[in-house]
Amino acid sequence: MKRAALLCILLLVLPATAMADGIAFQVAPGSIDIDALYNGTAIDVSGQVPEGSQVVVRFTGAPEDVAMKQKGKALGLLWMNMNTLHFSGVPKVCLVESTVPLDQLGEAAGKLGLVGMAQAIGIEPATADRKELLPELLKLKRSEKLYRESDGAVKLGESRDGSRQFTANLPIPSRLSPGPYEVEVFAVKDAQIVAQGVEKIDARLVGIPAAMADLAFNHGAWYGILASIIAIFAGLAIGMIFQSKEAH
Amino acid sequence: MIIPMELYLPIAGNSVNIAAVFGLGGAVGLLSGIFGVGGGFLMTPLLIMMGIPPTVAAASDSNQIVGASTSGTLAHLRLGNVDVKMGVLLLVGGVLGGTVGVQIIKILRQMGNADFLINITYVLMLGLVGGYMFVESLQSMSKAKAKAKAPGAPEKHVKSSAFGRFSASLPWQMDFTRSGVRMSPLMPLFLGGLVGVLSAIMGVGGGFIMVPVMVYLLRMPMHVVVGTSLFQILFTCINVTVMQSISNHTVDFVLALILLIGSALGAQIGAKIGKKLHGDQLKILLASLVLVMMFQMLYGLLAKPGVLLAYVGGH
Repeated sequence: MKRAALLCILLLVLPATAMADGIAFQVAPGSIDIDALYNGTAIDVSGQVPEGSQVVVRFTGAPEDVAMKQKGKALGLLWMNMNTLHFSGVPKVCLVESTVPLDQLGEAAGKLGLVGMAQAIGIEPATADRKELLPELLKLKRSEKLYRESDGAVKLGESRDGSRQFTANLPIPSRLSPGPYEVEVFAVKDAQIVAQGVEKIDARLVGIPAAMADLAFNHGAWYGILASIIAIFAGLAIGMIFQSKEAH
Repeated sequence: MIIPMELYLPIAGNSVNIAAVFGLGGAVGLLSGIFGVGGGFLMTPLLIMMGIPPTVAAASDSNQIVGASTSGTLAHLRLGNVDVKMGVLLLVGGVLGGTVGVQIIKILRQMGNADFLINITYVLMLGLVGGYMFVESLQSMSKAKAKAKAPGAPEKHVKSSAFGRFSASLPWQMDFTRSGVRMSPLMPLFLGGLVGVLSAIMGVGGGFIMVPVMVYLLRMPMHVVVGTSLFQILFTCINVTVMQSISNHTVDFVLALILLIGSALGAQIGAKIGKKLHGDQLKILLASLVLVMMFQMLYGLLAKPGVLLAYVGGH
């Protein structure tokens, strides 16, 4: 009885079930809380897809504009930061997980991957070499662990009444900034996307990080002065400890 | 109770291993205590490697140096190694020079090619300063040995270079008792200004240029140089911390505090090690460090980078 009640509460707490374009799925937890001890987390995605299809799950952050320097050779010898480039529509985070490797799923599914996603990114100036720069951007983001494409984290379960159960455990990187994120689920069958759905999930600062970020961004001068004063006192305190040790 | 090993940094937007950051702080603090340099040149790239954004790494580092140099200055004050009068004059010059340097860098940026110029200046400066210090201290070490062998050798003659005569001709000559030198206050003011210009252009604290300037141009004894340099760095870095907090919001205080506890401990130990070393030994070690830095920068310029893109604001 107690367990049933708990289950009821749990179901109420869970975010609303998505039914867009035929895919029903849940995301748990409903939001990502970044506290002082946050070191990456994992979210569970589960639901049903049409029978016989493979599943692609994507976790993406809001697209943003990024200014970058392109490195090139100066005087044919020295590697330097050369011209400035402006990338637009670059998702903060893009994690792609699938039941089988994307290249086995045909052309339509291939577009769901990092390379496909990158096609939507704009580069200023227009004369820039997209073929060279986009892979470099992906390489940089991958090295920061903000972009990832892998298979195995999504598991298919039992089939029943024409639909099949799936579950995914998505590791979320530690380098996560607060803001809105999206979880998308795609069902791919015979090289075509037969159904898809999307759920929103927010990452937010809580506790100490939230208080500090507020002070730093809204009261910059106080934050700087306070940081200096605390640093001086910490330095003095450590100096004193050493002095008293010496005196004995 | 389990002590958490990973901590999320709200401004850097990433989590770090506490022990790793603490260790990094300790190692850099040790160098700073021995040589009287801030250590930003070493700390910033290592923080970037740990996944901290470049702008946050540089700004938090200056916050950390505030604490470390407080601890280091205190240790050197007790050892009688701080020439406060000289330090204040250099500081005033440095602030004025820094203001000029920021304007120069703005003009350079507008003309383009600023990064190129900065990198080249960096490598040349480090190579020159490091090379000169290395050779000079090697020579004086072998001289000291020769002297010990032949006690009747003539006293070393006082150099009277054009620079020395110029220095002596300036008005308001006064004594700097701690350093044991006599000169016009215009000298440290001017030289402090010069270092301020350079450090603003190169984007570094300036300890690496200031220390050789005090040793060779102001003729201060090496031990006093180290203490006075730390005293001066303390104020420079308070200024940078507050300015960065106001205009860029890039100071991560949690990161700075962990680094600081490590580096303040390191600086205390460093000050004691430094006291045990001879001036020439100190100089030759610092020269080696400067040369290693120079080669590292040169390698960075010559080797093909792993990724051909960099965020704006990085080094």
